[in-house]
Amino acid sequence: MTTEILLDVPRGHYRAKHVARSELAKIVTLRSTAITAGLTVVACLLVTGLVTHAALHHDPGYYQGFDPTQESLTGMITVALAGGVFGALLITGEYSSGTIRTTLAAAPKRLELFATKLGLTTVLTMAFCLVLSFLSFFLGQAILSSGGAPTATLASSGAARAVVLTGLFIGLIALMSFGFGLIFRSTAAAIATFAGVIFVLPLVMHGISESDVRFLPTNILVNSIMSTVSQGQGGPYPPLSPHVGLTLMVLYAAVALTAGAVLFVRRDA
Amino acid sequence: MITAHALTKRYGDATAVDDLTFEVPPGEVTGFLGPNGSGKSTTMRMIMGLDLPDSGSALIGGKRYCELDWPLRQVGALLDAKAFHPARTARNHLRWLSLANDIPSGRVDEVLDQVGLTSVAGRRVGKFSLGMTQRLGIAAALLGDPGVLLFDEPVNGLDPEGIRWVRNFLRDLAGEGRTVLVSSHLISEMSLTADRLVVIGRGRLIAETSVADFVARSGGGAVRLVTPDEERFTAVLTAAGATVVPDDGALTVGGLVSPRIGDLAARDGLRIYELTPVTASLEDAFMELTQDDVEFRPSTMPGDVSAERGA
Repeated sequence: MTTEILLDVPRGHYRAKHVARSELAKIVTLRSTAITAGLTVVACLLVTGLVTHAALHHDPGYYQGFDPTQESLTGMITVALAGGVFGALLITGEYSSGTIRTTLAAAPKRLELFATKLGLTTVLTMAFCLVLSFLSFFLGQAILSSGGAPTATLASSGAARAVVLTGLFIGLIALMSFGFGLIFRSTAAAIATFAGVIFVLPLVMHGISESDVRFLPTNILVNSIMSTVSQGQGGPYPPLSPHVGLTLMVLYAAVALTAGAVLFVRRDA
Repeated sequence: MITAHALTKRYGDATAVDDLTFEVPPGEVTGFLGPNGSGKSTTMRMIMGLDLPDSGSALIGGKRYCELDWPLRQVGALLDAKAFHPARTARNHLRWLSLANDIPSGRVDEVLDQVGLTSVAGRRVGKFSLGMTQRLGIAAALLGDPGVLLFDEPVNGLDPEGIRWVRNFLRDLAGEGRTVLVSSHLISEMSLTADRLVVIGRGRLIAETSVADFVARSGGGAVRLVTPDEERFTAVLTAAGATVVPDDGALTVGGLVSPRIGDLAARDGLRIYELTPVTASLEDAFMELTQDDVEFRPSTMPGDVSAERGA
């Protein structure tokens, strides 16, 4: 048959590496990616700079329970916001522009496409957040040491763990948002859900069940992951340990991603 | 070769595609014809694996789309024109697409040249006119030099020169032995472009035939008659069982073939200035066939769910 001759294509079949290259090209060919990344770095370091600067030149009493590691990682909260937006946009941007149909025409095996996109997103966001976590830490310590405030080094108790886990944790937040993107397919809905979980839920939860606040991503990040000095240990609801906190965040992200993957595979594009 | 077998797709209560079976053979342009909302786009999306059929199958060379080894090298599709991120340049759009199926990067500039977009290759797609977007969509379909091509309303937004270009282009692709399926609600366009027709209405197959057969099937042609003896001629023809309608200085005669009309004129000494068989247009044939379909299912609103999703 004539078709058979024309369908003379190379041996083998398209593979995940081809899809990964293509997905990477998609990310780097959008100027907004570089702009978002640049602004995130600036915002993060600016917040860390302002917070640590405000901690300088106080009476010794002020530094009671002072956590120089946590102070120097404060800017990473802005990275959580940017990561959440980036994670959601990676998928909702495709739906809003219609690119998803072109993507599926090129790579119709949906589960494989999901896995490739997820893998690439994981590598990029984790690497970015880790690097930024270290930058924020070193900038914060440099500022703290300039004004007589207590400082930490990576060798200090819990400091290296806090810096690394903060980067990973925020990467996980971005992945959870990627899952929201797959579930909702609309930028507004995905980002609203993300902002609701990260920024609104902690405020609301205080009024509902004080004891459960510590299980929320934001509270885990600030009290369990970024912190090296146990603060509320005496209180009725001590923060989760870093490892329990991180595991819980892995679960949250996994739930959002699994739901997203199931819908992505089953739904009409 | 594309084969759709008993393809059915429902959205809630509405059946967008209803037990549709047809074939698209290679080497010809197959026109996919139907009014807006008749299920053309939905069918094409099912062929592409974008929408999953509720039952039935759509196969390309015997395989489902998601089973193809190199989808873009086997099937090229222009489904909706706006399937690009507006902030990406035309070249970068084709670039990422080529990477996904390991298509040599040289093809990007080749297809840009082929559709005449070389001079704007570095421009953001968001700034493109509808016609330019359409050309970029066609370039994307051609990127992998595929043997099977699907075009959904490809002349939308094109100027007359562009329309002629697409028309010739589709014929060339089929001439090279490729399988070409092109949908349109414009009958006139299909009559110029297609060899074969798959005609659907309300998601159901109305006809699958050659363009010539389709026209012939619509109940034979009328005959155009110009004569100075209109009154007498009308009486004679009517007596012979014909229908006669005055039409701008001529008579349109139905139900009698031209030799018979000539014989009657010779018998009664009537003068004929012009006697022309009029082939029924594709449009007439289409209206006639789809009218039945409308009559049988008057409760459904035209252009409901499937129109929203596709066209």
